[in-house]
Amino acid sequence: MTEPGTAIATISGASKQYGAVQALSGVDLSIARGEVRALLGKNGAGKSTVIRLLAGVEAPDEGSVTLGGTRLQGPDVQLAQRLGVMTVYQELTLIPEMTLAENLFMGAWPKRNGQIDQRRMEDESQAALHRLGLDLHPRRLVGELSIADQQMVEIARALANDPTLLILDEPTSSLAAAEVDRVLTVVETIRSSGVAVVYVSHRLAEIRRIADTATVMRDGRVIDTLPMANLTSRQVVAMMVGESGAETPAVSEAAGRREAGPVLMTVREVAVAPKLAGVTFEVRAGEVLGLAGVLGSGRTELLQVMAGLREPDSGTVEFEGKRIDGKGFTHAKKLGVGITPEDRKNDGIIPELGVDENLVLTDWGKVSRFGVIKPQQLLIAAQRAIASMSVRTRDPRTPIGHLSGGNQQKIVIGRWLHAGSRLLLLDEPTRGVDVQAKAQIYELLRELAAAGTAVVFVSSEMDELNLVCDRAVVLAGGRIVAEQAAPAIETETLLLAAIAEH
Amino acid sequence: MSAVQTQSPPSRRSRFSGGVHLSTQQLNEAGLAAALILLIIVLSFTAENFATTANMWAILGDAALVGIVAWAGTLVIVAGEIDLSVGSAVAFWSVILAELDGRWSLPLWLAIVLTLVGGMLVGALGGWVRARFGVPSFIVTLGLYSALRGLAQFMTNSLPVPIETNSFLDTLGGKIGQVPTAAILMLVLFVIFAFISRRTTFGRSVFAVGGNARAAMLTGINVSRVRILIFAVSGLSAALLGVVFAARLASGSSSAAVGLEFSVIAAVVVGGTSLSGGRGSLLGTLLGVLFITVIGNGLVILGVNSYVQDVVRGGLIVGAVLINMLLLRRGGAESR
Repeated sequence: MTEPGTAIATISGASKQYGAVQALSGVDLSIARGEVRALLGKNGAGKSTVIRLLAGVEAPDEGSVTLGGTRLQGPDVQLAQRLGVMTVYQELTLIPEMTLAENLFMGAWPKRNGQIDQRRMEDESQAALHRLGLDLHPRRLVGELSIADQQMVEIARALANDPTLLILDEPTSSLAAAEVDRVLTVVETIRSSGVAVVYVSHRLAEIRRIADTATVMRDGRVIDTLPMANLTSRQVVAMMVGESGAETPAVSEAAGRREAGPVLMTVREVAVAPKLAGVTFEVRAGEVLGLAGVLGSGRTELLQVMAGLREPDSGTVEFEGKRIDGKGFTHAKKLGVGITPEDRKNDGIIPELGVDENLVLTDWGKVSRFGVIKPQQLLIAAQRAIASMSVRTRDPRTPIGHLSGGNQQKIVIGRWLHAGSRLLLLDEPTRGVDVQAKAQIYELLRELAAAGTAVVFVSSEMDELNLVCDRAVVLAGGRIVAEQAAPAIETETLLLAAIAEH
Repeated sequence: MSAVQTQSPPSRRSRFSGGVHLSTQQLNEAGLAAALILLIIVLSFTAENFATTANMWAILGDAALVGIVAWAGTLVIVAGEIDLSVGSAVAFWSVILAELDGRWSLPLWLAIVLTLVGGMLVGALGGWVRARFGVPSFIVTLGLYSALRGLAQFMTNSLPVPIETNSFLDTLGGKIGQVPTAAILMLVLFVIFAFISRRTTFGRSVFAVGGNARAAMLTGINVSRVRILIFAVSGLSAALLGVVFAARLASGSSSAAVGLEFSVIAAVVVGGTSLSGGRGSLLGTLLGVLFITVIGNGLVILGVNSYVQDVVRGGLIVGAVLINMLLLRRGGAESR
């Protein structure tokens, strides 16, 4: 309490460990009344942990969290809320089938004579929305609102508790540019009312517009807190990246980069509203192409278009010179395109089935005859994949749900090798995967490329791109804004292109 | 019973270190088998005339009236779907068989073939509505449940439609030696379905779709095709049971098999198949069918009031599933 009345939230000397991972070490952070503070850092830098500490979701192993003069003892979300900290998370928590007013008062509906007081609830909702400059009818269903409006309702709900500190965790990541502007206007309104805001985002243009100061984090530490006014994008990126890259075990150069083969897929002026506004690039046989971009930049949508899972609004996709857009996923699969989804747990694995069966789902034909499975062939296919990708499992029949994330991911990639795919579209294949498995996946991709397979590697962790890619392109603002070729792939340049203003 | 042995899925082995390797599924099946044996022993001592050979065959014969559709029903539930229409479908197709054979004077074999094909097509139609438009199968088959029985009653004025019997129908509705023919049919179908569920690409696709339909779709499995097929198979099974009913009663009856869908669902879930899909076994369902039939048979022999019978049956079904869930939770905790 050095400056009573000014610091409304203070973290001092906080450390936090999850298993073997040191998420935070010795973090000091102080937020003053009415200040808008940007929180910057790469994935895994510790931003989310800081938010969880401030919101009372978790307590630090060492150090303390003080909110409005009261020191938190252990995790206590309710107490943190009473002390004035409200958080709006990235995932929306509204109930789409209920009205805006019902959502705003969720769980604390005003009552009269044992019934919900509709009139009062709607009047107060209207007032709350007006304060944010929103013109929405309180009786509308939330499900009918745009994502941006839902985001705003979420913010309005947090403000209903009269917070002194509002935490916004990537509030714009799922929004298009025009909608982002509306959210920022709302944040400006909040700032002028004297509420402090902690704003997490990867987009520097937004931060520059609303934040007074920025705290940059890296590897669980606060690097510095500086006023936004005289901070260049390049400086920010330099602080975010640090001198890493050298620490990460590099893929053996011998597995080697070589001349890429003929063009396998050509993407031409592909647009998908609101994320993609005309994307053009090509993928060659025998190369690993990195596709970088921050959360919400349209990476997933682009991969889905390439795999035929989604039809573009305009533009074309060609595979070996023949158009495949609009012909569907089955057609693309038949030609040799394979895709692994970003959300491995919900879209990738079939947890109850064995490793062996999860592997061969893409092509039963290789292990069966007239629809009858040949157990011996299934076993051989599974053992071969397990050996070649160093999958750690005692028995090929173990349900895949029992394996670690990295081993699951290898099998999910292995499916497409089993199917003989020539173009692999991998959406964040290293997310939630331990260091060793990461290195093994990099190595696997290099081997595949050497054998002539084309790989598109999507990652939001820019510093892994130069470890594995022959070429990297950056997606931002719905377009490809930068391209680099090995060995000159620089994390800083990619990151700058991905987060800077466009 | 070697098919029964291959049925127990080795793929759900949980990681008990050393000693016995039992998956939760196998644990459940073993428990259910033990409960069944215990039930039979208790009834042998308490109910007179229970432990006779004739009664044992009778139990198998009764079990067939659920089992013949419960095998397909297991696949339906493993796929994450539900089929509420089977009872009505059995009645409807028994009537159609009687009409085709009687009023239309078609040869019996042709009438049977048309009945079976019809059952399959109506099932496939329901599956298509489910797959193509995303209408929940609960709704689609609820509609069929109402429509098929209504249609059967409308066609017959709720009166039985007699069928001219012959030796084939007599045998189908009767016994071969001491063994009810329906029981033999049930066991043959059991072996076939156990094989389909473990060893065919179709069967494994059913598990994949039920376990995670989105992931299955992203591997290129034709999810719609799988869904249409399982309802076609379920419809075919119902039509087959309709033929068996007609043979047994020597008539087509619009009031046959009332409530069959719930007996099937009860047998399937008692057998350890998850209502949310992706997990289950046919051996479990076989044990579930026997469990439910033995309870019913015992209560009748004990002379329990028929309304009270329903109460007891309800309690035992919920109890069996509850124990199953508790076992599963324990198994899940240990493998973590």
